[in-house]
Amino acid sequence: MKDSLKINKYPLCVEVFRLANESLDSTGGDPMLLRRAKLHAHILDNITIFIEEDDLLCGSGASKPFGLEMQYEYGVWTKDEVESLKSEIYTISPEDEEELYRLNDRFAGNSLNHNLVETMGKSLGENDRLWPFMKSGCILPPWKDKSGGSGGGFAMSGYGLGPGFSLVAVDFARVLRDGAKGIIAEAKQCLSDLRYDAADSLEKRYFWEGVIIVYEAWVRFANRYADLAEEMAAGESRPQRKAELLEMARICRKVPYEPAETFREAMQSYWFTFLMMCPSPTATGGRFDQFMYPYYKKDKEEKRITDDQVLELLEVMRCKVMKINRVSGKANRAKNAGMAKWYNWTIGGQKPDGSDATNELSYLLLEAAKDTHLPHYTLTVRVHENSPKEFLVKALEVVKTGLGLPAFIGDNSYMNFFTGGGLSVEQARDYCATGCVDGNVQATTRTQVAVFFIIPQAMDICMHNGYCRFTKETVGIETGDVTKMESFEEFKAAVYRQMAYLMGMANERINVELIAERELFPDVFRSSLMKDGVKTGKDMFNRTFEMENAAVLGAVGGVNTGNALAAIKKLVYEEKKYTMAQLLTALDADWEGFPEMRKDFQDAPKYGNNIDYVDSIVADVYSYYASVCLSLPCAYGGTLRPNAISISAHQPGGAVTGATADGRKGGEILADASLSPDHGQDLSGPLAVFQSAMKVNQDAYQGTLMNMKFHPTALKTESDLEKLASVVKTYLTHGGKHVQFNVVNKEEMLDAKEHPEEHPELVVRVAGYSAYFTRLTDGIQNEVINRTCHDL
Amino acid sequence: MKTEEKEGIVFDIQHYSIHDGPGIRTNVFVKGCPLRCRWCQNPESQSVKPQLMYRLEPCVGCGACVPRCPRQAIRLEEGKVITDRTRCNGCGACVSVCPAEAREITGEPMTAQDVLEKVIQDKLFYDTSGGGVTMTGGEILAQPDFVAAVLKLCKENGLHTAIETCGYGSWEELDQILDYTDLALYDVKHMDSEKHKEGTGAGNERILENLARLSGEKNIPVIVRVPLIPGFNDTEENMRQMAAFIKEKLPTCQEVNLLPYHKLGEGKKEQLERENAAFICEPPAQEDVERLRALLCELGVKATV
Repeated sequence: MKDSLKINKYPLCVEVFRLANESLDSTGGDPMLLRRAKLHAHILDNITIFIEEDDLLCGSGASKPFGLEMQYEYGVWTKDEVESLKSEIYTISPEDEEELYRLNDRFAGNSLNHNLVETMGKSLGENDRLWPFMKSGCILPPWKDKSGGSGGGFAMSGYGLGPGFSLVAVDFARVLRDGAKGIIAEAKQCLSDLRYDAADSLEKRYFWEGVIIVYEAWVRFANRYADLAEEMAAGESRPQRKAELLEMARICRKVPYEPAETFREAMQSYWFTFLMMCPSPTATGGRFDQFMYPYYKKDKEEKRITDDQVLELLEVMRCKVMKINRVSGKANRAKNAGMAKWYNWTIGGQKPDGSDATNELSYLLLEAAKDTHLPHYTLTVRVHENSPKEFLVKALEVVKTGLGLPAFIGDNSYMNFFTGGGLSVEQARDYCATGCVDGNVQATTRTQVAVFFIIPQAMDICMHNGYCRFTKETVGIETGDVTKMESFEEFKAAVYRQMAYLMGMANERINVELIAERELFPDVFRSSLMKDGVKTGKDMFNRTFEMENAAVLGAVGGVNTGNALAAIKKLVYEEKKYTMAQLLTALDADWEGFPEMRKDFQDAPKYGNNIDYVDSIVADVYSYYASVCLSLPCAYGGTLRPNAISISAHQPGGAVTGATADGRKGGEILADASLSPDHGQDLSGPLAVFQSAMKVNQDAYQGTLMNMKFHPTALKTESDLEKLASVVKTYLTHGGKHVQFNVVNKEEMLDAKEHPEEHPELVVRVAGYSAYFTRLTDGIQNEVINRTCHDL
Repeated sequence: MKTEEKEGIVFDIQHYSIHDGPGIRTNVFVKGCPLRCRWCQNPESQSVKPQLMYRLEPCVGCGACVPRCPRQAIRLEEGKVITDRTRCNGCGACVSVCPAEAREITGEPMTAQDVLEKVIQDKLFYDTSGGGVTMTGGEILAQPDFVAAVLKLCKENGLHTAIETCGYGSWEELDQILDYTDLALYDVKHMDSEKHKEGTGAGNERILENLARLSGEKNIPVIVRVPLIPGFNDTEENMRQMAAFIKEKLPTCQEVNLLPYHKLGEGKKEQLERENAAFICEPPAQEDVERLRALLCELGVKATV
């Protein structure tokens, strides 16, 4: 099946766009919950389906193999954007392209997308206070006009409703256990029990009616696959394939309607559910090794399946995930490099009682990744005190193949995040990585909006007393003339005050999106798979969960900020080698003409070398950042939460930020991830990096990111892997939240830049996702190459 | 002088060392070596004094270093910087002015306390991996008092200690180090003293005697390390003699590590601007290494590569 992954061009499809708009056109008078439910059912009933050669799981996520369906929620695909896609690795048939423009003309005025863009534009662009901020590059992408910087449309695969980017792990176990049948029955019961005695009684009725509409359509959709498989079996001459098709038909007749009883049935039911979570580049696999285990165990005990057969299914699933893609408009393509997608399966960790949860499936998932050598889906290994050494070594064996996965995350710090937010320890033990490394507890919390905040830009605005060098206008508040500040504390307080002010505006931007999405994008399917999802009768955007994790603001460049503050503390306030005025002059000149001064600022202590002087300042920046987030109200309830995963935002973030006092020149890339040292500045080996990072209180963060690169020579023997496993465990049980490794040598990457055609299979870890190196942008390629390589 | 204040010359401290002893270790490299092995991979470690290292590629030939040398050892000839090594005393005045970072001093005076503060930073990782500190060089016997002082402080702070030594020194000097040593990695280059002298400049009698006492009298666990140099010591005869010696004289020997010769040290000789008597040798073939390893095992000695 892996052979079928070799394609050069990804087809853009218009079926979903057409079906969605057809439906919307006919449901004008309905409440939004029902409009969206009907739209969903219309897609499920009509989208073209197919079963590919060698496939064992039904469901592909688009009307064509490898297809990307144009979405209707975000932006319209203009001719200009389509042309740009065609010049890259995408293609569109002439008929589809023509239909797309026809549909654009017909529906541009009344699409939901129009409303989102309009709401964002009117609230943020046409607002004198917020408009300068939206352009400033403090958050990405900087808006270029008042209607908003949505950066064009999206095209994705999947049978669910948008919008993408929901970070949620739904209750997969419920679908496996009760089937659609149980969920439909519950909705019907709720309807019959409904009494019209509250303001939201009607809303609940719409919700439950919607649940019945969508789940029934979903069952019909599965039956269409059963019909197709039977039809194909009838014409199939090879006995083995015929038998496979008949078995697939049997299974699709049964699930997702009925509860799953065997591992194969559970796989199909799971896969159909997963595809309903897409289109979203962040659809989450959840704790697959936990909720699938009972089916595996029973089949193994009753000798219905072998590990080889399980492995085959897991590998087929990997191939299928490779075919689910997404692409965005030009502006967003730069932000998330390499067809970024974050389909994340979490393995290991703890059971509700705190005992180790690792099982045979955890190992088989690792084996499937190693066997197929495919970068998606990614795996995230939960690590705690009692994680078996063999499991971590096995995971590092996969890392060693150069695949860039799995990532490792620490139960202690994640669980502290959730218990700190009010959940019980038992609930916290059921967390998983959603999206990149954003933590969410299955069915209990979810994140809907994540925005990146460029801290060095905020600091620069403070250095210029509220003036933004990028847009050449006043953006922030007047925090004072920094050349007149007498102590480092006074200066730092000014930087923090400016940061807090600008973060407040970022939070407003987040809230506008949250509110607009709640109005426009209800989704009864995934909402019903949240905790008490059917019973509550509310969309998941319209509930306040026990712990609110709805919105996160991602810190970018925290390390640069800490390094810059430390250099200023040392050279301006302690040694008094330079005045603040001299520094400002040099920064405004982008260090041109000040090489010696720049070298002094570069040589000041840098984070990542276990030097308390600077590490404590970086830790302070992160600690303050977290406290500001936790003071800002979130539209869905609770507060904004901090995270610190730059994905690849440190590149565009750096592009908008002028020269900084850590010695960086204007426009240069910022420090990668959030706890990785800046490029080439960790000169004291990996342990010093970990120890610097352990000084940062990471518990308040929904996720942090640490990228580390090793040369293959550091991972040669079993004993090398055991030693690295002990480092990973030590970091992750002592305050560390996340670490991931790239194992690849520099020569190979340099050669791949030169001769991409010879390295199509070279996979590197970017940030929370692995990508084919040759498909990364030039800037990100250089950045991956320049991350310090720990060679022994 | 207090133990903490004992001073030595260190040329590198390498954290996260995973190939020199159990667990995760920090290797402390002290400068100076009494042997002159022809295949030496750390030529900058042979002299006990700090030395200038100079890299040709980054050098832009600007000459900023020339006037800074108090001994007038540097000159610029046709755009090339040339340092008269007979005059250079490694003072380092030329290093900080170099805009290209082409010049560097290897070897830094440190007290035992300075070293302790560096190595104890990773204690958490030693504790969780069963690792510790390894004193190596150069040769630790070039600075025995200093090495003993560092190891004493390490033991007082609960760190596991290992030494890596060629064993060429007086028993008394070695003995004071062994009081604070949990594990010895001990190099044996050749069992035949004549050959040993050809390869390293010294015979092996004292080396083997120290080794036998370290194991027999002091009862310290030892790992014998053999750099495999093609055409020098990669013979079956040498392995047989070694196995016999180990079985007769080394009751605490845990295993033999065969270390195939590699060429990573070549660049360093250039940086010292030294024209060594060319040592031309290719790394040994993998099958030869494996054959010798298997032979040792056959003879009843555990051996790894």
